[in-house]
Amino acid sequence: MIDKKLLIRAVDISKTFGATKALSGVSFDFYEGEIFSIVGANGAGKSTFIKILCGYYADYEGKIYIDGKLVKFESPRDAYEAGIQVVHQSIEQGIVQNMSVAENLALDMIISPNASFVYDKKKVLKRAKEIASKMDLEYLDMDKNIQDITQSEKQMIIIARALATKPKLLILDEPTSSISDKEAGMLFKTLYKLRDEGVSILYISHYLAEIKKISNRVGVIRDGKFGGLLNQPLEISEIVKAMVGDLESAFERTYDEKDSKKLILELRDLVVQGSSEPLNIKIYSGEIVGLIGLIGAGKTELAETLFGIRRPISGEIILDGKSVKFTNIRQAIKHGIHMVPENRTVNAIIPENSIKNNITLPFLSFFSKYGVLSKKNEIKASKRIIDDMGIKCEGFGALIESLSGGNQQKVIVARWLLMKHNIVILDEPFQGVDIKSRRDISKYLQENTRDSAVLMISSDIDELMDVTDKIMVMNKSKIIWSEKTSEVNRDKLLSLITQE
Amino acid sequence: MEKFVAFAIKYGFLIVMAGSFLGFGLLEPSFWSWSNMFSILLGITIVGILALGVTFTLIVDGFDLSIGSTAAICVMISSYVMVVLNIDYIYAILLSILLGITIGLVNGLLIVKAKIPDLLATLGMMFLIQGLQLIPSAGMSIGTGMMLADGTEAEGEFAKQFLFLGQGRLFDLIPVPVVVFAVLAIIIYFVLQYTKWGRILYAIGGNEKAVKLAGVNVERYKIMAYVLSGTISSIAGILLAARIGRGDVTSGGGLLLDAVAAALIGYAVLGVKKPNALGSVVGVIFIGMLLNGLTMLSLPYYTQDFIKGIVLVAALIFTFGLSKSEI
Repeated sequence: MIDKKLLIRAVDISKTFGATKALSGVSFDFYEGEIFSIVGANGAGKSTFIKILCGYYADYEGKIYIDGKLVKFESPRDAYEAGIQVVHQSIEQGIVQNMSVAENLALDMIISPNASFVYDKKKVLKRAKEIASKMDLEYLDMDKNIQDITQSEKQMIIIARALATKPKLLILDEPTSSISDKEAGMLFKTLYKLRDEGVSILYISHYLAEIKKISNRVGVIRDGKFGGLLNQPLEISEIVKAMVGDLESAFERTYDEKDSKKLILELRDLVVQGSSEPLNIKIYSGEIVGLIGLIGAGKTELAETLFGIRRPISGEIILDGKSVKFTNIRQAIKHGIHMVPENRTVNAIIPENSIKNNITLPFLSFFSKYGVLSKKNEIKASKRIIDDMGIKCEGFGALIESLSGGNQQKVIVARWLLMKHNIVILDEPFQGVDIKSRRDISKYLQENTRDSAVLMISSDIDELMDVTDKIMVMNKSKIIWSEKTSEVNRDKLLSLITQE
Repeated sequence: MEKFVAFAIKYGFLIVMAGSFLGFGLLEPSFWSWSNMFSILLGITIVGILALGVTFTLIVDGFDLSIGSTAAICVMISSYVMVVLNIDYIYAILLSILLGITIGLVNGLLIVKAKIPDLLATLGMMFLIQGLQLIPSAGMSIGTGMMLADGTEAEGEFAKQFLFLGQGRLFDLIPVPVVVFAVLAIIIYFVLQYTKWGRILYAIGGNEKAVKLAGVNVERYKIMAYVLSGTISSIAGILLAARIGRGDVTSGGGLLLDAVAAALIGYAVLGVKKPNALGSVVGVIFIGMLLNGLTMLSLPYYTQDFIKGIVLVAALIFTFGLSKSEI
């Protein structure tokens, strides 16, 4: 790094919110021409650090130097003028709907206080083309409405616009969260190019594989403190260790098919959708079964059928030896089929409610007599599962919003593990969940799946390899392969998932 | 500073209320008399009961614009039953409540099954009822001894027992409508706070989809909220008819807005930021007290709506404006 020019230094940055110290004495240096990533578990203080760097908090402690000069940011405008540009996670927030591609590219020219009163279409177009050329976006139709281009093209426009201001530091916050893998690949190529041109990039992402692939250096924030600085060659295990400390190695399960197991769920020639082939699946007690497949492979449809959301076309669902038919979710739950849906914010969390209320929601009848709730029993049950799952919170009465994403997910998983069940289906349970919480949930499932079973649906191989006993591959609504996890070959699995 | 704001959000409204209670009494000692206290309470019962009704629909993130007109049509129908049809007052009460349930059910079905947005469905219903209530009496108010269309005089009259509901007093002191209001308020508070039905209604208002995926029949709960709103409105209508002792075609005017304002003011009570029974009751009492006190201090009647508006806007600032917004 010696040959590279030091652009920005953040020294001993601290920030407190009320009584909690969100950040204490964190320092990082940013050099020209490198991609620097900051990682940290949810709630570690990562976003607080970034916000300070972007001028959102005026009352921080510590010093920020730009080109050796001490600066003090009072507002986002200050940071912007000092050459710090942020591309936020939400693409929709970065563009103006109802405007054309050209207008979005040359937005500064249109909305700046110095903009001329008369809208000069030619000038705007000229400027837009200039900005587009930096990112090889000339191919875009400048007159097109911004809504008619792809997510990644929108993102490229936002980045191009940021670059047009010739920033000292370009911050990218979770840029791959709403674009496809292929688009992400294109984004990385662009980033390499910018890096080689001397732009300093600060990259933030949940995906450690991405971090390892593209970063020159990685800075770690852990519990609000400096957690380490890693140089190439980067190893994911090293990054994780710096983020969350030594993790207990995953609970060792001795999975043996010969154990006295009971058939819990059997699908006999179950046809989920009109065109799909019949499914035959057997799941035994004590098993954690993974179901993997691409989006559209039919995983969600299967889960919805099991949970009573949709009705099968034909075939049988046999639960605990009895053939069952559900016409609604309530009946599925009565039969001991529980489901943690994907996307907790949309499908699971009841905002502005306590952790307790969020946990007991499906089982209020159990906690009430003649409709009157027994708060005592509710509290007892919630406390137990909060402890067992290691949900980090100020108590059962804390609002769900006060938790980190990972802990929110634990609450939702706890909701469905609270009561006795035959099988619990988890649909993409680790979306937006930090690695520590992921491990906690996995460990809880592994230790507590005895008389019941778990069906875990995911499109991430590594997640499933971590937790499950058995993996099934779904491809075009058909189970094409199934094997004990210990015998699974990752590459083979990958080819099965994607085969045409 | 943060602590102060938090304190203000939680207790500010109650402190202002206690302050004005003290202030009015100090400036005008008769304000504190028992008879004045009950006159304030009697004045707010109808609107208070309607506010409790609309609270249910607000909780499930809906709205019922037809509460005022439901109360009004119940005034007309009970008067019609007793005065024109000359049937026992019990039928006047039963028919009114049945009508309230029906209106609520139709509202619920329009919103849940026909998927009409709540505001539009209940706006339509409001219009419909306002028109419907005029039809039986050919647009005229209904009173004892009124002239009927065939030239004869109406034979029926308001039953004493019926009038007692609106004009009677328990122990010669507590007005009956106040008792009805208090009983309803306590029941509704209990249901919302301590039963699973209340919990589920609030959860539906928070995230309907999540409640559905927890195995709850959300549609039934939402329809039930509108049925309760209609039923409670019909009770308000019966009390109103009993109080004025005639079927006045204009009796529904202003009820809707006053009730909704009270329920919205209720969001600010104890800083809960949600529709709630206690808040709706406190909100309606606050407005009643303020208007009573200001009138005693010779505030002209035509400024009343203006005062209500100020209180509502201030309460909304308490509720929404003071809470911290994240960047």
